Amino acid sequence: MVGEKKRQKKAEKSLMTFGAEVIKDISEVRPPRLKVPSRSTSNIFYDEKNRYFVLGNKYGIRSAANIKQVKKIAQTICVADFCKELIETNKFATLREMYYTAEGWDSGPFSDQGESDVVLEDLEAMFGVKREDLGLVPEEDGAAVYGELVVKEDNAVIDATKAGRGGYTIPPTIDDVELLKCKAKRVIAIETMGMYHRFVQERAWKTFDALVVGLKGQAARATRRFLKRVHDEFGMPVYLFADGDPFGFHIGMVIISGSAKLAYINHELAVPDAKYIGVTASDIINYKLPTDKLRELDIARLKQLQKDPRYNTEFWQGEIKRMLELGKKAEQQAFAKYGLPYVVKEYLPAKLKEAEGKEFIGLK
Amino acid sequence: MKTIASELFKEFREHSVSEFFRRNAAMLGYTGKIRSLTTVIHEGVTNSIDAAEESGVLPNIFVAIKRANDSPEHFKAVIEDNASGIPEEYIPDVFGKMLAGTKLHRHMQQRGQQGIGISGGVMFAQMTSGKPARVTTSVGNGEIVQAEVMIDVDKNEGKILDKEKSNGDWRGTRVELEVKDVTYIRSRYGPFNYLRMTAIANPHAQIGFVEPDGTLTVFERATDKVPERPKSMPIHPWGIMSDDLLVLAKHTKSRTIAGFLVAELSRVTKGKVEEIRKLSGVDMNKRPSGLTWEDAEKIVSTFKQIKFMAPPTEGLRQIGAADIESGMRQILKPEFVCASTRPPKVYRGGLPFIVEAGVAFGGSAGKSVEGEAEGEGAETGGLDLIRFANRAPLIFDQGGCAITAAVRSIDWRRYGVDIATAPVTLFVNVVSAYVPYTSAGKQSIADEPEVFAEIRSAIMDVARELRHYLYRKIRTKEKQQRAGIFEQYLPVIARKAAHLAGTEVPDVGKLIEKVAGVKVGGGKETPEEG
Repeated sequence: MVGEKKRQKKAEKSLMTFGAEVIKDISEVRPPRLKVPSRSTSNIFYDEKNRYFVLGNKYGIRSAANIKQVKKIAQTICVADFCKELIETNKFATLREMYYTAEGWDSGPFSDQGESDVVLEDLEAMFGVKREDLGLVPEEDGAAVYGELVVKEDNAVIDATKAGRGGYTIPPTIDDVELLKCKAKRVIAIETMGMYHRFVQERAWKTFDALVVGLKGQAARATRRFLKRVHDEFGMPVYLFADGDPFGFHIGMVIISGSAKLAYINHELAVPDAKYIGVTASDIINYKLPTDKLRELDIARLKQLQKDPRYNTEFWQGEIKRMLELGKKAEQQAFAKYGLPYVVKEYLPAKLKEAEGKEFIGLK
Repeated sequence: MKTIASELFKEFREHSVSEFFRRNAAMLGYTGKIRSLTTVIHEGVTNSIDAAEESGVLPNIFVAIKRANDSPEHFKAVIEDNASGIPEEYIPDVFGKMLAGTKLHRHMQQRGQQGIGISGGVMFAQMTSGKPARVTTSVGNGEIVQAEVMIDVDKNEGKILDKEKSNGDWRGTRVELEVKDVTYIRSRYGPFNYLRMTAIANPHAQIGFVEPDGTLTVFERATDKVPERPKSMPIHPWGIMSDDLLVLAKHTKSRTIAGFLVAELSRVTKGKVEEIRKLSGVDMNKRPSGLTWEDAEKIVSTFKQIKFMAPPTEGLRQIGAADIESGMRQILKPEFVCASTRPPKVYRGGLPFIVEAGVAFGGSAGKSVEGEAEGEGAETGGLDLIRFANRAPLIFDQGGCAITAAVRSIDWRRYGVDIATAPVTLFVNVVSAYVPYTSAGKQSIADEPEVFAEIRSAIMDVARELRHYLYRKIRTKEKQQRAGIFEQYLPVIARKAAHLAGTEVPDVGKLIEKVAGVKVGGGKETPEEG
């Protein structure tokens, strides 16, 4: 919590500095200018060293002397002022709420929420801070967590093993949550909620000393932030378990290397050390899993991934090639062919052994 | 004294002027309930303006149309001027004798050319209401003559029914005609529009008008200069019509048709007479008084086939761009006005003419909605074309007129004008002693290629100026809108930035002044100054 306050203070300071610069320009009869980092694809680069996407150094200049830009600058300052109010009053608002609040602003309403979202992204990129640090949060909750983790939300202390079968729900304001205690040794993030519940039922969290995270498909910002925090704060390895198809691969990859769209903020979100354990094309072969034929869309997507710098490793290139040759894909649930507990009793121990080099059978 | 007209009417094999009048009502402008009333006013006002100009005074014309009784189609029309007045002994001729005007044999560029004038109005009044014309006139000698005049239809003579004299210090003429079977409305074709157009084309005249409901409108004078009178000159054979030739023939002192043609017409030589004889087969040694209608028609059609020297171009009397602008400005109160007078040109190989055009934008320019009051916030409905020949409004037969065709031939969008909605009045005046009318009604200009081209050029001259004006106007508006945007957003920026920084709100006025004048760059970056 203390750390979080510090983040917000830093964001607030950036906003105040921004205001002061604008005031200085106006006092010296100079049109204020905004330097906004470009988020166009030509300015997004894969950082080999950090292993995630980053923005290049291209930026656009917006000038208050330009008739087409002066309104946008007014809107940006209004959003900045709105954020400062949120930080000062220790409140959060959703993007949708900000969009509606803007109806009453002197800069006039936004034409749609897309427009206000972009202004917020500008601010994030200008100051290198996350929207959550500016008091703005996404609509949707993050994923569910089950395992031996104790967190503190405001005054509530929550044990993630005592939050019901659904587990602890990661809130959009995850940075505001204090991670008090964690007995788990590893994190297993799972694409589908069906498999998540299988893991909970089979007490996999206990068997493997793991925090089991149900991603509900593509991971939300809050989930990715959570994974990054537990990895950084407790030094836990993060394992990713998704469907054996290009979309499952990419759910894992976005957690590992971040998305291009959020390149300006990936240093807060990416977990480059996270490891994709399956389902792989090799799994399909080795475990003789029931499969579906690759659709055209899957093939096209696989070919895209082949060229994507994030997949430029021996492991990924091999798996992609194999899946293309196989022409087949498989879901996580395919392991049920061998009985419901099989995935937890046989498959997972094998995978973790592969990753950590130690035996997991009999640990329960 | 034998009158020309009475002989002329024999040629028409008519028994009375009333019969003649009825037969030629359309040609004379007495057709339709609205048009007839307009024609009565036209004849009176034309006479009045001509008379004032001839006596060298600025015309002050007063017109009133009053209801004669409860009937919706029974009116009294009054036309009064400040011209030289009419000597008592001429009153019967001026008002009571048709086709006896002073105009025909003095061929010149003139407003009317109907050759019938106010006596036609008297005739119309007499035929519809049975009432004589009441004439009040004084030549400025302290004596005012009031008379009731009727036309003796058998003799084609004016008859004074009643005459009174009084003393008074006044000069001018007032005619009062009682007419029936006419309608008064403020339409394009009615007297109001006629007078308004007359006022625009005659900026030296002041015209007051009282409508039947008592509304007084004064079309104020816009210039104090009396225009030069057109010169009287012999008529050129290319420009004459059969009836003109007949009237001239009755009037001449020559003893043979050959001598008459040489004496009375311009550019006709003995050699040409021989050509005319050969082509027309008309006996050139006949007495001019023996010229028949058929002879006249043959001769006139022969004229067109013969090469004559062109008539002199001197004597054309245009209004002039400056006066057209004054007239339009005065009557329409527009935002923008511009006029152009083209140099003289000839058509049919030698008949001289001049075209003038004017354009007005905004104010009460543009078509007003039918029947609506002009000027006072009346809705306007697009381009209003007002046509003139020798300053006289052309109100009827618009569809068949070369001026209308010329307007239609222009792509107005190129000039930034939407003719369906723009508040634009377009003025065109064709000046010539030989205006090529399409018909005897003299309400539209024939499609002579040279005349058409010249009308088109004149319109395009003024349309170009209008385009420049509209373009400047749009630019100014854009600049204001631009400034408005900065005025809207820069204070917001200052206020919110001050709130962010926790400082006082700085004065943003100087910055607004600075950037509102900065040219907009379409691109991304505006270079920083200072």
